[in-house]
Amino acid sequence: MIAALALIAGVVAGLLLRPTVPTWLEPYLPIAVVAALDAVFGGIRARLDNVFDSKVFVVSFVSNVLVAALIVFLGDKLGVGSQLSTAVVVVLGIRIFGNAAAIRRRVFRA
Amino acid sequence: MSDRRSPSSTQQLVDLVLDPRDRGYEAAAQRKVAAGTAGVRRWYDRPAVAIGCLVIGFVLAVAWVQTHRGAPQEAKVHDSLVQRVRTAETTTSGLTGDEARLNAEVSGLQQAALGPAAASLLRELNRNRLLAGAEAVYGPGLEVRLSEPAGESEPSTAPGHGDRTPESGGHILIDRDIRSVVNELWADGAEAISVNGIRLTPTSAIRFAGDAILVDYEQIASPYVIDAIGAPDRLDTAFANSAVASRYQTLAGAKGIGFSFGEKPRLQLAAGVVPPPQYATPTGAAR
Repeated sequence: MIAALALIAGVVAGLLLRPTVPTWLEPYLPIAVVAALDAVFGGIRARLDNVFDSKVFVVSFVSNVLVAALIVFLGDKLGVGSQLSTAVVVVLGIRIFGNAAAIRRRVFRA
Repeated sequence: MSDRRSPSSTQQLVDLVLDPRDRGYEAAAQRKVAAGTAGVRRWYDRPAVAIGCLVIGFVLAVAWVQTHRGAPQEAKVHDSLVQRVRTAETTTSGLTGDEARLNAEVSGLQQAALGPAAASLLRELNRNRLLAGAEAVYGPGLEVRLSEPAGESEPSTAPGHGDRTPESGGHILIDRDIRSVVNELWADGAEAISVNGIRLTPTSAIRFAGDAILVDYEQIASPYVIDAIGAPDRLDTAFANSAVASRYQTLAGAKGIGFSFGEKPRLQLAAGVVPPPQYATPTGAAR
């Protein structure tokens, strides 16, 4: 409950503040988005499995964002930034899909 | 599947795809069960979840805003670039018109200022301007027409062009073709030549840039009309007997390009733009 409220509050804050993302941060925005979605779906799934843990939730989100950003940062420096960015999005996308499928199986029993 | 000791890298990949579950949650749950604190709420649980979800929502909203703000900006940049190109084009054509008008004005003023006393000087000046292509002229001559084949689809190497590489976009005619016709016409005794209405001057260049043929930096397109003023009979005969003409006859048969030439009783050639020499100084008459 509190999670959903906080999520909505965050969205509203983002829409109201409309912060300008600095240029150097822009390449990391898509990665942050998929990492955030991954954390959300992973958290929902864990909640449905009754194993949700706030520490794991926060730490996994933060570390996913940092590691993904680091990979892309290194890739940028080595000239494979966009490819690695794609790789990160693909891997996290697979996880999102898998978690969404697990949630679906649990909720609808189908 | 859950607790493999040393899974191979392939197995890790398969796990990644088939089992996206975060092991951290299970491990934490097991630890809690082991410690006997399952179901006990710690002090930081609620704030951590709240802050985490707040950040996630914020990130998603920012990404949304950023994406939808960026799109119109790109369109704006594109529009402004198009606008600038259009403006530059208008300016260029306006300046070209100005130049032609001013040139005409200058010749009129010269004639008026020099008067009848300097008639011979004026004649010489006019002759030189004529030779330089800076004066609009008319006279009998030959008109040569070259055009791309109607289909204009297949890029191909043409016979008689050993050093030609297939052009992108299926162009058969390139700058070299226009140049060879022009050179042939000069050799046949042409006195003034224009290509698609652009008068050739002593410093004219016929070049190729990308897919376009440029005459003095102006882009021209098929059909190419090359007008040459000179003795019509001589031009016609000499051009008809030239290797250039026979080459394009062959090309017209083999590749379907348009090629024709014929005498014209009256051709009107516009004045060309001759940039004044900056470095060349006459050796004899140092005035």
